[in-house]
Amino acid sequence: MKPECSRVMDSLGGPLPADLASHVATCEDCRSLVGGFDALGAGPAPVTPAPRLDAARQRALDELSAHPKPTPWWRELLVLLAVYTAVLGGALLFMGRNGQVGNSASPMVVAVVAVLTLVLVGGGAFVALAPARRRLSWALVAMAAVAVAATQVLGGSGQQVRPPMEGMLRCMGMEMMLSVLPLAAALVLLCRSAFQPVRALAAGLSAAGVALLVLHLHCPEGTVRHLLTAHVLPWLLLAGVAVLVRSRLPSRSHAP
Amino acid sequence: MARFCQGDSTAFDALFQRYARPVHGYLSRLTGSPSTAEDLVQLTFLSLVRARGRFQPGSRFKPWLYAIATNAARDSQRRSRRPEELTPEGELPASVPADTPAPRDSGLEQAVQRALAQLPEGQRIPILLHRFEGMSFAEIADAMGLTESAVKVRAHRGYERLRELLAALHQETQE
Repeated sequence: MKPECSRVMDSLGGPLPADLASHVATCEDCRSLVGGFDALGAGPAPVTPAPRLDAARQRALDELSAHPKPTPWWRELLVLLAVYTAVLGGALLFMGRNGQVGNSASPMVVAVVAVLTLVLVGGGAFVALAPARRRLSWALVAMAAVAVAATQVLGGSGQQVRPPMEGMLRCMGMEMMLSVLPLAAALVLLCRSAFQPVRALAAGLSAAGVALLVLHLHCPEGTVRHLLTAHVLPWLLLAGVAVLVRSRLPSRSHAP
Repeated sequence: MARFCQGDSTAFDALFQRYARPVHGYLSRLTGSPSTAEDLVQLTFLSLVRARGRFQPGSRFKPWLYAIATNAARDSQRRSRRPEELTPEGELPASVPADTPAPRDSGLEQAVQRALAQLPEGQRIPILLHRFEGMSFAEIADAMGLTESAVKVRAHRGYERLRELLAALHQETQE
């Protein structure tokens, strides 16, 4: 679209300045644009009976009198982060009786991957719940997920401690169990705004990321196969489940 | 808006008086059903009350309200349709059923409605907000969560397509 076409769009509905009028005369796109705009306004306004909106007004007023104080969105974010912290802290304390960190990769690698996962957990919760003026980008969320997945897999120690199937089932079960509460909290809070699949995905990645972080610190298995199938794949599946479940839940509010 | 956010019912009433009818008109055009629009107005203002803590001070109220109304309509359509009837992006399909079937051509208004209903949601919403609600492209961009240039491109394509559709409908009635 040329700059003149953009200016023509801004001037639709009013008299066009001379330079724009001459542009319209020579630009086929703008002639179609003005033709379409004028065609919409050429007809008479539809005659419709006055809508019955008293019930809508009364219901909203009742809601307002029942809840005179608004709930700021950041309070919901704090609640979600508190749930994440409780699950993370509780799981690490419970499972770390014989040492907090079972991951035998180098401490620097363990720390970097843990921090990156923690950033995803916090950032995902933020973008899922914060009101945004622009739509969240699918590419951004996908890139964050790929980055965390890649560092989780590539940052493994390569060690195998248990038989593969036993280790896989243990970790998958633990990841599912630890994700129940964060996912439930995220879904409840997501229902307080309009359904947006990309936000639900961010919330799912963030909520299941808590369990991913626990496993990363606690699990002594470090083979690529184990990390991929028992840590990363369930994490991505749980995020997908979050989107599916959220799409089935009713929204308490349709605010963006 | 600030007084309403603090729970002032008089301020809410002022907002309702000012915006309820225009929002109803917008939702009627969007859904093709005035009675559905009445229900959606209720959901819109209920959402407005419930989610006023999400309103960002300093931002514009009208785009926010229309964003809520659009989301309510989208949610209602999503729930009343089978998933396979939605587009892969979860948007409304290009064609919206009317309350009553439109006659072949009982007037220009029906022709316009039929043409609008054939546009994809991404083009129909900017046109409805721009042509019928008198919103600027900056306001529409706020309401849709897009950039202003993206909204202009969509509206431009929509108006071009509408012109073609209306010409075709006009030709159809001439025959």
